[in-house]
Amino acid sequence: MDSKPSAEPRPKRPPTPVKIVIAGGFGVGKTTTVGSISEIKPLRTEALMTSAGAVVDEAVYTPDKTTTTVALDFGCITIDEEVKLYLFGTPGQDRFGFMWRDIVHGALGALVIVDTRRIDDCFPAVDYFEKAGLPFVVAVNLFEGILSHHLEDVRWALAVGESVPLITFDARNKLSVRDALLAVLHNTFRTRAEAMSGAG
Amino acid sequence: MSRPDDQPDQPDRPDIDVSWLRPYLLTSGRAQPIDQSLEIEAQVSTAAHHATHQNLSFEHKDIVELCRTTMSVAEIAAMLDLHIGVTRVLVADLAALGYVEVRRPDAAPEQDLSILERVIRGLEAIR
Repeated sequence: MDSKPSAEPRPKRPPTPVKIVIAGGFGVGKTTTVGSISEIKPLRTEALMTSAGAVVDEAVYTPDKTTTTVALDFGCITIDEEVKLYLFGTPGQDRFGFMWRDIVHGALGALVIVDTRRIDDCFPAVDYFEKAGLPFVVAVNLFEGILSHHLEDVRWALAVGESVPLITFDARNKLSVRDALLAVLHNTFRTRAEAMSGAG
Repeated sequence: MSRPDDQPDQPDRPDIDVSWLRPYLLTSGRAQPIDQSLEIEAQVSTAAHHATHQNLSFEHKDIVELCRTTMSVAEIAAMLDLHIGVTRVLVADLAALGYVEVRRPDAAPEQDLSILERVIRGLEAIR
């Protein structure tokens, strides 16, 4: 009998999780984006915002409600044996709440989806990522394949600098979503490489 | 509607009753996990040496069963219809008792360009 320990298959370690944040206003196509490329059907889970953990948003505060539920949509992509990429859609009703901190913490970057008919819907996301120092890419979702504004007009309306990449994509198309995610990663890579060379 | 798979981002789902139980009943009164910082993407897998788990609560058992396939805290919450916060507490319990193994994200991804390169390569391979 072969008793060499090396003959036994090594128990597989769980993969290292990494994540990208998918943000944008209500109905802009966040779930469609996740669903186009995720290996699993996008899942939805609820998070409870208790009074202890809540950042009180005066605009939505109601005295008789001590807890608020927010929904979180997400999917995943296996990168290789050891790395798994998660895509987390930001809960729309929890703009400044604790779920955002959980989602953004440690993220590789963010994709801010814009519907040019309702550009201001994505202001909170842009604002949040700028303050959090998370590199992001703005992606105009081409509903019906039509770009209704010039990209530079969108940049002007959003008041984001030249350093923020602005792209168009189709949330329903897998390869288009893949390319949008690649734009996010390349942008983060560039930002971090610059920061590291600047620091050292 | 041309995009039937596009579920609205609307979080209010009055048609779905998540649970009649107050969430803290599932966690023996604790509102915070032992380790509060457990990430929603942290990977959870059932430890191989724990064949029996008779003394665990239903929710704990469900997680031990489910995590025979490795998955994230967020996936566990979605599959078992539990709140994320409750799931964190339950997973932290099980990890402390040795029933599950938890793989957390790397501590300082900002300093690590190699993981970015790796994810880029992985995505480029998608056709």
